[in-house]
Amino acid sequence: MARRYDSSTTTFSPEGRLHQVEYAIEAINNAGTCVGILANDGIVMASERRITSGLLAPAKTSEKTYKLCDHAACNVAGLTADANILIDQARIYAARNHYVYQDPIPVEQLVEHVCNYKQAYTQYGGLRPFGVAFLFAGYDTQHGFQLYQSDPSGNYSGWKATVIGSNNQAGKSLLKTEYKEEAPSVQEALMLAVKVLNKTMDGTAASVEKMELFRMTLDEDGNCQHHILTANEAKQVIDSVTAEASSSGDS
Amino acid sequence: MSILEYNGAAMIAMAGKNCVGIAADRRLGMQAQTVSCNFQKVFSVSDKIYVGLAGLASDVQTLHQLLEYRLNLYELNEERKMSPQVFSTLLSNVLYSKRFGPYFIEPIVAGLDKDNKPFLSGSDLIGATVSTDDFVVSGTCTGNLFGMCETLYKPDLEPDQLFETLAQALLSSVDRDALSGWGGVVHIITPTGVMTKELKGRQD
Repeated sequence: MARRYDSSTTTFSPEGRLHQVEYAIEAINNAGTCVGILANDGIVMASERRITSGLLAPAKTSEKTYKLCDHAACNVAGLTADANILIDQARIYAARNHYVYQDPIPVEQLVEHVCNYKQAYTQYGGLRPFGVAFLFAGYDTQHGFQLYQSDPSGNYSGWKATVIGSNNQAGKSLLKTEYKEEAPSVQEALMLAVKVLNKTMDGTAASVEKMELFRMTLDEDGNCQHHILTANEAKQVIDSVTAEASSSGDS
Repeated sequence: MSILEYNGAAMIAMAGKNCVGIAADRRLGMQAQTVSCNFQKVFSVSDKIYVGLAGLASDVQTLHQLLEYRLNLYELNEERKMSPQVFSTLLSNVLYSKRFGPYFIEPIVAGLDKDNKPFLSGSDLIGATVSTDDFVVSGTCTGNLFGMCETLYKPDLEPDQLFETLAQALLSSVDRDALSGWGGVVHIITPTGVMTKELKGRQD
């Protein structure tokens, strides 16, 4: 029955739904999980690395985490090819804004711009939507550290902690119980992120090759530092989570 | 009146032993009237690349911001630092893209490439570039600057000697030019860091 209304992105169904957008969201639910957590002195983003083949040569530093400008980065869940277009858009927009105003772009403005671009593909042209969901992490002097989530519809929302990608419901329910009102420190947030990934990647043992941990903090001069944890640093976090789990008798 | 001589400038970049130096004056004028004595004309585009922009002050600032924009996007997309040779080519392209309505700038580029080998280049306002291994000059008193450099330059100077040479060459050149002077700034770029010193010369 929905068939008639789901081939065109620009048509509402009688129930008031955009089926193409919903199908795009489904595509993302099959992608590698990403979790983002706002800490009191930074932001942590962790993602599941899906290694499809041992023969793959890595072209870029990461296929999940991308720097957009000095003070913003994002994590991708979904079609990487679609994500590349949007990331290029975001980088150019942030750089151009900096050229015009000689000031860093407010994080929400950057997020909204990317989302407006995504929205256009749900209303004009008969083109399919982007099959990408993002977690944006950024810092500006007006609102401090911020975490945003966006989806193919072009909607975005700010979060203290959230999960996108496969098994995100399981991840979100864990965050609901474990994320404390007084925000965690970056170190605690890293451990919580690993716990969430352990849950969403249920079955597979946590390991450094399967997880990518990223943190954004400020240095003493107030400049944003982007850091993807090295294999050693990631191992330390994963080991301390495993130790805590076994000592408290969790299953 | 030439538009390239409206604001006034003098700058030199010179190569030493595993180091480069770049020096410029500080004057900003509107023809005869001096407006500022600490106008910045040399900019660091990365730890190891400095660019000196001589010419119309408005274009100095705009071109610096534009080059920073282009360099930042390059580093985001390519995930590596830009080499000075590539930067010099980028600059040349940006200038030529305005071939029939140019930026009134005659820039010089000084940097160390990834093997810490000195790189120098200078170009005209529409992007014709030359790369040298001794020195490049630009500004409203290039005749003076060329003369001083040709006389004082020796190859393989150590950083401290390079600083002295650059400082003396610049200060003597600007004293015979009404449009440049009012102090100077020298940057010496070495593999371990950048040394920046302010020069006090004749304040006229």
